[in-house]
Amino acid sequence: MKLTKLGVAITMAAGLLGSTAMAEVIEAKPGQAVNMVLLPKFLGVAVFDQADRGAQEAAKELGNTGTYQYEGPTPENSAAGQIEMLTTATTQKQGVVMISNNAGDQIAPTAEAAQKAGTKVVTWDSPIPSGKGESLFVAQVDFGSIGTVMADMVYDEAGGKGEFAVLSASPDAANQNAWIDAMKKVLASDAKYKDLKLDDVVYGNDQSEESYNRALGLVDKYPNLKVIMAPTTVGIVAAAKAMQDEKLCDKVKVSGLGLPAEMVSYTMNGCAPEFALWSFVDLGYLTYYTSYMLATGSLKGEIGEEFKAGRMGTMKIDADPGRPGAKRVLMGPFTVYNKDNVEAAAK
Amino acid sequence: MMQIFGKIHPQTLRLIALFVALLATVLFFSTQIDSYLSPRMFTRITTSAAVILPIAVGQALVVMTRNIDLSIGSTVGVVAYLTGEFLAAHGDLSPLLVALLALGIGAAMGAVNGVLVAYGRVPSIIVTLGTLALYRSFLVQYSDAKTITTASLPQWLVDLPQVNAFSVLGLEVRVTVVLGLSAAVVMGLALTRLRAARRIYAVGSNPDAALMAGINAARVVFVAFVLSGALAGLSGLIFLAKFGNITVVAGLGFELKAVAAVVVGGVSILGGSGSMIGVVIGCVLVDTIDNSLTRWDLVSEFWRDALLGMLIMAAVTVDTFASRSLRRLGAQKGAQ
Repeated sequence: MKLTKLGVAITMAAGLLGSTAMAEVIEAKPGQAVNMVLLPKFLGVAVFDQADRGAQEAAKELGNTGTYQYEGPTPENSAAGQIEMLTTATTQKQGVVMISNNAGDQIAPTAEAAQKAGTKVVTWDSPIPSGKGESLFVAQVDFGSIGTVMADMVYDEAGGKGEFAVLSASPDAANQNAWIDAMKKVLASDAKYKDLKLDDVVYGNDQSEESYNRALGLVDKYPNLKVIMAPTTVGIVAAAKAMQDEKLCDKVKVSGLGLPAEMVSYTMNGCAPEFALWSFVDLGYLTYYTSYMLATGSLKGEIGEEFKAGRMGTMKIDADPGRPGAKRVLMGPFTVYNKDNVEAAAK
Repeated sequence: MMQIFGKIHPQTLRLIALFVALLATVLFFSTQIDSYLSPRMFTRITTSAAVILPIAVGQALVVMTRNIDLSIGSTVGVVAYLTGEFLAAHGDLSPLLVALLALGIGAAMGAVNGVLVAYGRVPSIIVTLGTLALYRSFLVQYSDAKTITTASLPQWLVDLPQVNAFSVLGLEVRVTVVLGLSAAVVMGLALTRLRAARRIYAVGSNPDAALMAGINAARVVFVAFVLSGALAGLSGLIFLAKFGNITVVAGLGFELKAVAAVVVGGVSILGGSGSMIGVVIGCVLVDTIDNSLTRWDLVSEFWRDALLGMLIMAAVTVDTFASRSLRRLGAQKGAQ
């Protein structure tokens, strides 16, 4: 509960800062034709399909007479597939490609070529780390504040002190790495967390069996471990199942970022009492809105521009604090789920 | 007489060498990792190897016929998903029928490979690389981004990974481990006792001679692929029980783990030789190395995969050299 409030407070503070700039709020011009592509990390993942739903909602509202495609690579071909699909979209002269980048900086040259050819590249969920070739990044939440939420959830579940470890996705996932770094900074800078000790960071590569084995590995390696923090929807479920299978839920709690529908049984039985997530429907909606306005020329994509993004209200382009030279639109907030609200959200 | 001696002896030696390698690995890590030689570690490694073992057994059968099955990772994923989906709607299905369902789906998928390779005469590496992508794409399309969750599965299946089959000397042997091992035992007995199964060796060691001996080589290859698919179905079922949460990435990359276990286990990539005992030890060895490296302080996360790769290469190299010099030894003896 406490955490939810904190999340809201941070977003509100960000909103207040934004409104003091007194810039003119730009409105979208509906009914224009822009061909748009939403490109997830790969197909078949629930959260990306939710983003697709949000994007379709925005498309309808804006009355875009152009085309909209939701397409992505298959899981085993994610990075190379994304680069290939971005190239194809460029040759098709698509107006905007909205991408949740899973190819690190490898995709930057392709994105730069797309921009040169007139196809805008907007990232969401996971940015291009160097910011090269990217018009702007629609950030789900402030990456720094995720660090605080992660630290707070560990603090709650460990009872204020003890050892914990991080089970992440892949070692080169831009978003997870940024969140873990943010969490480390928070741990180091605030005396509240001085009794928490981060033992290790391991990677399950968003695979059930690897994440499951890594989670058990952590428990064996660190006998005093109290919390496994998994900032990935695959890792958190696998870790929770591993603790449940080994009857370790009383000793080791699991937390992180997860989907209510997948986490509900583990939250109710106490293996993962608390986890967080933001709305991917909203993220898809905002990404579409921003991209449409960028492609129709309403937005120039410059720092300080404010615009009205439909039901999401007034949004602002600002400098991305985590990536010098890059720009972002900050969505927020996230929801912290526990046994009080997880069942309703899982339906 | 000498020929038989030359043929059997290196095989047995190879198994002994492999077993010694496994012992050495365990002994080495027991000096490095606290409480390594514990019942808990035994459970960790056996249950983790049990998921891979059935597909390694299937892969071995295919490799023995001079082919390869790269599609099994996707087969595991599809079977886990479809079986999970079916159970979510029909939770009262008896465990035996559930197993038959999983094996059946897998066998059907293997049969597609088998037909194309055995009767279509398309090289297996091409066919199974194709179906690897095809089956995965099917899963992506079919799943519509919906996850199979533990909550939708019958309780007996979710509890299965924790159920003990029996205990020996304080070591718990879980039911999933027995399931995985039974695949190896059945196939191992068949390969040594059944004339029909021995045709797999015949086709692999010399297809022309097998043909002359009146063996229907195409049918043998077809059956090997069907078995590989069915065993992937068994892996898929164990995967479903163990992880509960099935998404489109289920089983991704398993084909490489299976190939590693098979090659380390001494099944010749050139076909015609190999044993199920070897595959079991190979599978356990690869899994022991993987599970031990994650608990070893000296190695960082980033070096783990590289080290595992190097160890596999070392195993294969040693194996190749050893069997070559043994063969030379055998040939010398034969000449005398």
